[in-house]
Amino acid sequence: MNARTAVSGTRSSEAARRLTYLTLAAVAFFSMLPLYYSIVVASRDNAALADVPPPLVPGGNFFANVARVFDTVPFALAMVNSVLVSGSVAIAVMFFSTLAGFAFAKLRFRGRNALLLLTVATMMVPTQLGIIPLYMLMVKLQWTGTMYALIVPALVNAFGVFFMTQYLSRALPTELLEAGRVDGCSTWGLFWHVVLPAARPAAAVLGMLTFMSVWNDYFWPLVVLTPEDPTVQVALSTLASGYVNDYVLGLAGTTLGTLPLMLVFALLGKQIIGGIMQGAVKG
Amino acid sequence: MRKSRHRFLAPMVAVSALALGLTACGGGDSGGTTADGGAVSPPAEKIKLTVGLFSDFHFAPLYEEFKKTHPNVEIVERRAQFNDHHTNLITQLTTGAGAADVVAVEGGYIGAFTPVPDKFYNLKEYGLDSRQSEYLDWKWKLGVSNDGSSLIGLGTDVGGLAMCYRPDLFKKAGLPTDRDEVSALWPTWDAYVETGKKFVAAKVEGAKFTDGPGEHFRAMVEQAPIGFYDAQYNIVAATNPEVRKAFDTGVKMIDNGLSANLAAFSPPWNTGIAKGTFATMVCPAWKTGTIKDQKPGEGTWDIAAVPGGGGNQGGTHLVLPKQGRHPKEAAELINLLTSKESQIKLFKEASALPSLPALYDDPAVSEYVNPYFGNAPIGKIFTDAAKALKPQPVGPKAGDVLKAIGDGLQRVDQGKQNPEEAWKQAIEDVGRIK
Amino acid sequence: MATRAPDRLAAVPPGKPTGPRRRRLQRHLVHRLDVKGSPYAYVAPFFLLFSAFGLFPLAYTAWVSLHEWTLLRDEHPFVGLENFRTLLADDYFWNATFNTLSIGVLSTVPQLLLAIWLAHLLNRPLRAQTFFRITLLLPNVTSVVAVVVIFSQLFGRDFGMINWMLSLFGVDGVAWNEGVLTSHAAISTMIMWRWTGYNALIFLAAMQAVPRELYEAATIDGASDMTQLRRITIPMIRPTIVFVVITSTIGAMQILAEPLLFGSYMITGGVDRQYQTLSLFIYENFTKLDFGYASAISWMMFVFIVLVAGVNYLITRRAKGGLT
Repeated sequence: MNARTAVSGTRSSEAARRLTYLTLAAVAFFSMLPLYYSIVVASRDNAALADVPPPLVPGGNFFANVARVFDTVPFALAMVNSVLVSGSVAIAVMFFSTLAGFAFAKLRFRGRNALLLLTVATMMVPTQLGIIPLYMLMVKLQWTGTMYALIVPALVNAFGVFFMTQYLSRALPTELLEAGRVDGCSTWGLFWHVVLPAARPAAAVLGMLTFMSVWNDYFWPLVVLTPEDPTVQVALSTLASGYVNDYVLGLAGTTLGTLPLMLVFALLGKQIIGGIMQGAVKG
Repeated sequence: MRKSRHRFLAPMVAVSALALGLTACGGGDSGGTTADGGAVSPPAEKIKLTVGLFSDFHFAPLYEEFKKTHPNVEIVERRAQFNDHHTNLITQLTTGAGAADVVAVEGGYIGAFTPVPDKFYNLKEYGLDSRQSEYLDWKWKLGVSNDGSSLIGLGTDVGGLAMCYRPDLFKKAGLPTDRDEVSALWPTWDAYVETGKKFVAAKVEGAKFTDGPGEHFRAMVEQAPIGFYDAQYNIVAATNPEVRKAFDTGVKMIDNGLSANLAAFSPPWNTGIAKGTFATMVCPAWKTGTIKDQKPGEGTWDIAAVPGGGGNQGGTHLVLPKQGRHPKEAAELINLLTSKESQIKLFKEASALPSLPALYDDPAVSEYVNPYFGNAPIGKIFTDAAKALKPQPVGPKAGDVLKAIGDGLQRVDQGKQNPEEAWKQAIEDVGRIK
Repeated sequence: MATRAPDRLAAVPPGKPTGPRRRRLQRHLVHRLDVKGSPYAYVAPFFLLFSAFGLFPLAYTAWVSLHEWTLLRDEHPFVGLENFRTLLADDYFWNATFNTLSIGVLSTVPQLLLAIWLAHLLNRPLRAQTFFRITLLLPNVTSVVAVVVIFSQLFGRDFGMINWMLSLFGVDGVAWNEGVLTSHAAISTMIMWRWTGYNALIFLAAMQAVPRELYEAATIDGASDMTQLRRITIPMIRPTIVFVVITSTIGAMQILAEPLLFGSYMITGGVDRQYQTLSLFIYENFTKLDFGYASAISWMMFVFIVLVAGVNYLITRRAKGGLT
């Protein structure tokens, strides 16, 4: 930390520093705007959406609207399901991606480059049409309506493998692995004692992104789950139904559905980023 | 099968519980309520029926009624968003699994299913063809398979058509504001265009006569005896003079500056409802809700009759996908949900317009007024339109054809093409529809 | 790039030779098995899972693309390559391809430059560090309904903020959704808004692993901030740049949500198809129940993605070996 302060402290003038904060504040402002706006609308009524200019401060109906959400859909159950699915997928993706990334980045084996290329190529397959055959598969496995349909196919993905490969290829010093080998570590031992600690910052980011994308995943859960046993996004989709959209109910629901993510970001954020800050070589 | 699931679930739960520092995560999936729950139940023949809807139809009290005569039946309702509901149904029918026992299909989609009666139980086999005489003719026919062999669905509500208008803007333009006088302005669509010209001539600031010609075009086509499809369900949009005439009338609206060039349901269209950027729009019964949501103010919009006589947009059928295991009970449930008694209840509860004309004379319907729309007798206006509508063959891709030609009108409206180019391209687009 | 790593690692001699010969042999065998076998075991989970859940849909789609396959119909006559022949002669397909590439370039290039710069700004001690980093992800978790409402407030024809500002400069009533360029610009703005922070966070993770000593040395040598970014940061995180370029390219080629939302769920992407992307084109044919044609488009799209990602990779890599 001290070293870094010294680095940037001497190199950036006060003006540059101010510019940095100004830029970041502007980015933060524009990033938060729609989220803030949805909170504003979720705490008002449907007329607020039609107002021009739009309302700027929250109204007093937020809890009433939230209560309506809970009355309309099994939201608590949906939360539990989403935490279960997103949590287990994020952990599995972090683990398996780091494992495969380690192999691709630092181990030598026949067909390595070809397999890595193949991995990347699988990402390029357009996913939309996969829904029908995948659904057929789930019917065969009798997984429709269950969380397996969401968890199992997602346990590891090319995005994660490729991400960890690229990260580890630079961030994991080969000397460290050599030293481990000399100490008599097996490959697994290397993974456990050297790779995992070094991979932590990137794995944390990967876990965060995965948790987020699984949490927000919509198309597939909607097809394969039933509204009786939904995830948050499936439950939310049933809020906005009929000819006339009840936007306030929808936005109250989505805001509520975003809160757990915020919680994850806020609680883990400091730690995750703390992990990043420490740099890789500590382990 | 259930056992093996649990064996698999256990480590999964353990892992995630450990990782997230939670103590118990089982609530999500370990319960016995899976989609295919009902059939595994013990001897007493307890039956579970699932009902798949795309919004709250206010069916709940009717389920209770059904249970009085069917104490062994449990009813679970599923709701999904409108588009998702219908595309999911297509996926479920394609793969042969996952559909609810009773499924609601909206008017815009029913045509996609009537060509494939083998995917649904034939309601005739459960005696429901006895209900035919009660129904509006066109509504009944929408639920009959194209080959006429099978009855796949029974109608619930209809979406009678009217013309919503703003008295304040009409007044500024020197036009009458009373709804009967306004209705009298436009017995035909040509008369509607003429009224529009007067409105334009009055130069009301910031307001066009109507939102855009698309919905009008649709209403005109649907009033004709033959629309996009002929009686053998061939697409005849290119050759049917009625379609071209409707298109040309739409062009007239654009050419005379009647259109605000706003697509229905787009955000600026929503804003326009409140701000008064247009003075009239085609209004199916349910659009009154859309208008109210924009909070234009009480009495800002009023409701007159639609030009050309009758019309309908929307309305629903209930169908039984062949995957269901209890067609007899499900058919009985449909019978109850669509009965006279139920439909009048649903009108009172949820303003769902009945599809049984006998109910249109019921005071609850005929005397129903809506204070938000200047006490317009909307019960009468909308049912008159529904009653006046004649049956028309609706083919599987009617929605796609409508969109192709409607887009053509919008291209004219946006000044991208002249009417001939737009028509030519629209007809080419229709030709691609198989 | 980092290819030196694996060769060295495998060349490290086996553990110290101790004990009797047989045990040594056994250990040697175990070690050989470990070195030879472990890599395959480590990459196996991905490939097993892909074979189970990815391969079948892929093959199925290919099979469907060779048929006249209408959903809900039970007969699917085999038509060979007919769908592909129709596709190559289909103006709307090429229109969608053009739109996809145009929106892709307009959104991806500025997005990645901005993301690197943002990551660079955040890769230093700052007050409210956590706050700034977390806000990067917010656009990605915000409800699409809110996004649509906000962006239509921005790009509205009659009451939009941007048009209001333009009107101050004497430009009146731009109908953003009607023109080709205007709609592409608006959609690209949406894409950038949603994904810049996401990519910045990925860059940031990689930047954190760059040894601090390099910067210290450079500072002593008097290198400026920008020089350090160009000379140290970017070369050091090049594998991650390759990663982001490839995944963003793939993402841009498959873009669906933003044009769909921008057009209020108009699957033709405007009345003149002015912003219909390839994914929307697939979706349109799918809703027309033409599963065979939609599958053929999917496969063509796959080919395009491979081509574009390949070209981008070559550009990014600039003649240095290996994916990593």
